[in-house]
Amino acid sequence: MQPPAASPGPAAPAGAELLRWQWQEVQAPCLVAAWILVASLAKIVFHLSRKVTSIVPESCLLILLGLVLGGIVLAVAKKAEYQLEPNMFFLFLLPPIVLDSGYFMPSRLFFDNIGAILTYAVVGTLWNSFATGTALWGLHRAGLMDPGVEAGLMDFLLFGSLISAVDPVAVLAVFEEVHVNETLFIIVFGESLLNDAVTVVLYKVFNSFVELGPAHIHATDYVKGVASFFLVSLGGTAVGLLFAFLLALITRFTKRVRIIEPLFVFLLAYVAYLAAEMVSLSSILAVTFCGICCKKYVEANISQKSRTTVKYTMKTLASSSETIIFMFLGISAVDTSKWAWDTALVLGTLFFILLFRAVGVVLQTHVLNRFRLIPLDRIDQVVMSYGGLRGAVAFALVILLDREKVKAKDYFVATTIVVVFFTVIVQGLTIKPLVTWLKVKRSDHHKPTLNEELHEHAFDHILAAVEDIVGHHGYHYWRDKWEQFDKKYLSQLLMRKSAYRLRDEIWDVYYKLNIRDAISFADQGGHVLSAAKLALPSMPSRTSMSESSVTNLLRESGSGACLDLQVIDTVRSRRDKEDAAMHHVLRGSLYKPRRRYKASYSRHFISPDKQERQDKEIFRQNMKRRLETFKSTKHNVCSSKSKARLKEKGRKKKNISLTKETPNGKTQRNIPWQEAAPVLVMVSSEEEESDSSETEREDDEGIVFIARATDEVLQGKTTPGSLDVCPSPCIIPPSPTLAEKELPWKGDQADLAVYVSSETTKIVPVDMQKAWNQSISSLESIASPPGTESGPQHRRFVCPVLEEGRPQSASHVTPEQSSCFQFPSHISRSGRSQSDSSPDGPEQQELQPLMATEEQGRMPPTVEPRRLMFHRASHL
Amino acid sequence: MVKDCTFFTRKEILRLFYRYRDLAPQLVPLDYTDKPAVTLPYELIASMPELKDNPFRQRIAEVFSEHGDGNMTLDNFLDMFSVLSEMAPRDLKAYYAFKIYDFNNDDYICKSDLEKTVNKLTRNELTPEEVSLVCEKVIYEADVDNDGKLSLEDFQHMIIRAPDFLSTFHIRI
Repeated sequence: MQPPAASPGPAAPAGAELLRWQWQEVQAPCLVAAWILVASLAKIVFHLSRKVTSIVPESCLLILLGLVLGGIVLAVAKKAEYQLEPNMFFLFLLPPIVLDSGYFMPSRLFFDNIGAILTYAVVGTLWNSFATGTALWGLHRAGLMDPGVEAGLMDFLLFGSLISAVDPVAVLAVFEEVHVNETLFIIVFGESLLNDAVTVVLYKVFNSFVELGPAHIHATDYVKGVASFFLVSLGGTAVGLLFAFLLALITRFTKRVRIIEPLFVFLLAYVAYLAAEMVSLSSILAVTFCGICCKKYVEANISQKSRTTVKYTMKTLASSSETIIFMFLGISAVDTSKWAWDTALVLGTLFFILLFRAVGVVLQTHVLNRFRLIPLDRIDQVVMSYGGLRGAVAFALVILLDREKVKAKDYFVATTIVVVFFTVIVQGLTIKPLVTWLKVKRSDHHKPTLNEELHEHAFDHILAAVEDIVGHHGYHYWRDKWEQFDKKYLSQLLMRKSAYRLRDEIWDVYYKLNIRDAISFADQGGHVLSAAKLALPSMPSRTSMSESSVTNLLRESGSGACLDLQVIDTVRSRRDKEDAAMHHVLRGSLYKPRRRYKASYSRHFISPDKQERQDKEIFRQNMKRRLETFKSTKHNVCSSKSKARLKEKGRKKKNISLTKETPNGKTQRNIPWQEAAPVLVMVSSEEEESDSSETEREDDEGIVFIARATDEVLQGKTTPGSLDVCPSPCIIPPSPTLAEKELPWKGDQADLAVYVSSETTKIVPVDMQKAWNQSISSLESIASPPGTESGPQHRRFVCPVLEEGRPQSASHVTPEQSSCFQFPSHISRSGRSQSDSSPDGPEQQELQPLMATEEQGRMPPTVEPRRLMFHRASHL
Repeated sequence: MVKDCTFFTRKEILRLFYRYRDLAPQLVPLDYTDKPAVTLPYELIASMPELKDNPFRQRIAEVFSEHGDGNMTLDNFLDMFSVLSEMAPRDLKAYYAFKIYDFNNDDYICKSDLEKTVNKLTRNELTPEEVSLVCEKVIYEADVDNDGKLSLEDFQHMIIRAPDFLSTFHIRI
């Protein structure tokens, strides 16, 4: 921020200039950017020390920083600059915060507690402002205040109205770090949002009363005041709902212009704010309700990327607004020209707002508890009273006062600043210890279970039914009605057809749980590995697992609104952060291998000739028939995960098979491989294309190659997230038949991944066993029996012992065996094994000598890729 | 009297009685002192317009009726609200919730029961595969003894784990 004087003589434009100093033109945006930068850097500095931020709320630090900066500015410029301008605050800084809080408001919780929230917001705020105003007036009348405070009853009521409203920004900033239970949070926070209407109306009414002078107020003016309250609040809400509707409708049609979806969200919400502001309705209410109501439909309509964009942009904007607000509050406080100190007024205000807040809360809670299912207990009431923080809204409103009309403005400004600072700094600092000391129920972030979701829905219906029977139109009745209306009309109108079905919440939760499982599994996998040092054998399984869990995450979150429930939380819990961190770690570490393969992959690398295409056709037809039998038994619990995993696998294999084409030098192998390759390509490209037929794809995947089944076994086994299924090497006896009998995971995890060895050759999940038999027998009818029989045989790739011995022989045996296969299975197996084994040429060759010694007869080709994957993983 | 068997006051019982009577004024006599054996046929309850869309109407009537046929006596009627009142202990609520889910009355929530529930809840919008997946996951979550179905103990265990879970299972008359 160089002063403009530094510009090099604009007075003499002699000739053409190379450069020109144009500070004036960029001054305003440059200053804005500079302040945001300062604030953001300050945030970084604060968070360098975890200890400080865990004790002191960020808002306090920012205010203190603002004080320091303000002092510097004052010292340098000799006058106070860069203050919190009411216009800037209301037009630019407040909307992002309100939109953020409305959009991410847990709507169910909000509407469950709407009665309490409204009571506190309306009755509580009215009570606070009137009581504070009259009490201060009484104090003034009693002669305790400085005679310089020229104010009548109306002035004090005006002051009371602006000082008594709980501030959403301050509440959010402090409560976010405290983590009280959700009900408590939503009540305090909801109150702070909804009381805006009351504050705005009271402020405007009293302001006009003050301007009119007490003598000119008629009875009709009071009536007008009451009427304007309803108008302002309901009007604001209506504007919000209208824009929410528009927004949802617009996002329904953005399928081809995904890139501007987030823009619509912000734009329309902002227009809603401005529209409400324009007609002096409650703009905060407008944006809040716009956010709450549009979310469901917008989230369903826009793409996953847009959803993420909206989320992060909103959080970024809100967070920076908050930062700037608090910093500027600090800076503004330095300007002593506005101050006029009166100890009695300041102390009286502080005392009264605390007292009346507490009294109001206790009285209202007493009444409310008669109607609440879960009463708010004493501790809740203490936190609610103490959590009534005042903030920037009060400050902006007091700055807006007209000094001509309100004689005591300077006193009010000083008092407001003190009150804001006191509530934010003192109460903000102490609320955390207080909450701990009182043992307030914290928010528990237990996993949302599918059971809960299911039963919650069921209970809703049951209760609604019972209410219907008794003819009692209670809360459940109305919610039921609303949900039906929403399902029948609103959702149909506002949601895309494709998005509509995915909105089913039970299914959403299912998605989300799966993702969590996958992530936690990957997490656990990492730990167990490092602890147990199961370096080689367990590695591939984990790699593939976690990799697929990431894909899973990406894919699933793309199809369902799976992040909803979690994101809704305005409290950013540590757990979420951990999840996110985990995600990043996974992405960072696990995507590389895949990308590497991808880089060398080209779909047109192989052009299948006519013969191959025919073969492929026949093969696919055969397979498809077989799949039908497979289909019904195929779904185990983890299959949605395995879907993604399979996909991943398939792509990987495909890549491998394609990329490593050339190194494969042995002519003997070339024939089967070439036949196989096109098939592989086909399947995986199908996967990529198809979005809708997930199950079909899954089936395709699962059976087209028997080798694929090995993946499934592996995945199925590892899915439950416990690594104790991972067999220890010593348990596995060297001979295949023995191994079959004593499979370590046989008894484990009976629920999810039951693996039973059947008939000495197959290791399959229990629910797949039948299908296996079928498919294998059908394969046998087509392919040469011995080969097929051995196919699924050695599928314990996790077992180190087998690792050592088997694969070598397998790679050796495969070629000749496959060459004697009949066409379909022959293609699939041998091709698979060839293509997969080929990448690790050198290693394989190292192993060649060993293979000769191994005379294991029919070794399944499927072992091969697996083993190689281990090696690959170890390289990585 | 009935009062001892329910969690209601006399006034509330009277209110419920009038409601009960309103459902079928021609069937239910005003004078209930000699305990006439009056039952409200299920069709009457099912035909209520408000209940038209409710997926659980039949199940509720069945569970609370004496013979599981959906026909309700006054006692059954009172029982229903008694269970849902705030005074009713959590175990009782859990028991009845469990019974509502247990469609085939075998004292276990098995997969077919859950599938029915899910289908009712989702209004058949999920494919059978999805329903099946969800159900298996539900059982997996709550099945403590690994028998592939949920017993009452499993159910209660799950409910205890989630603290304010049954707190929503209330109704105010």
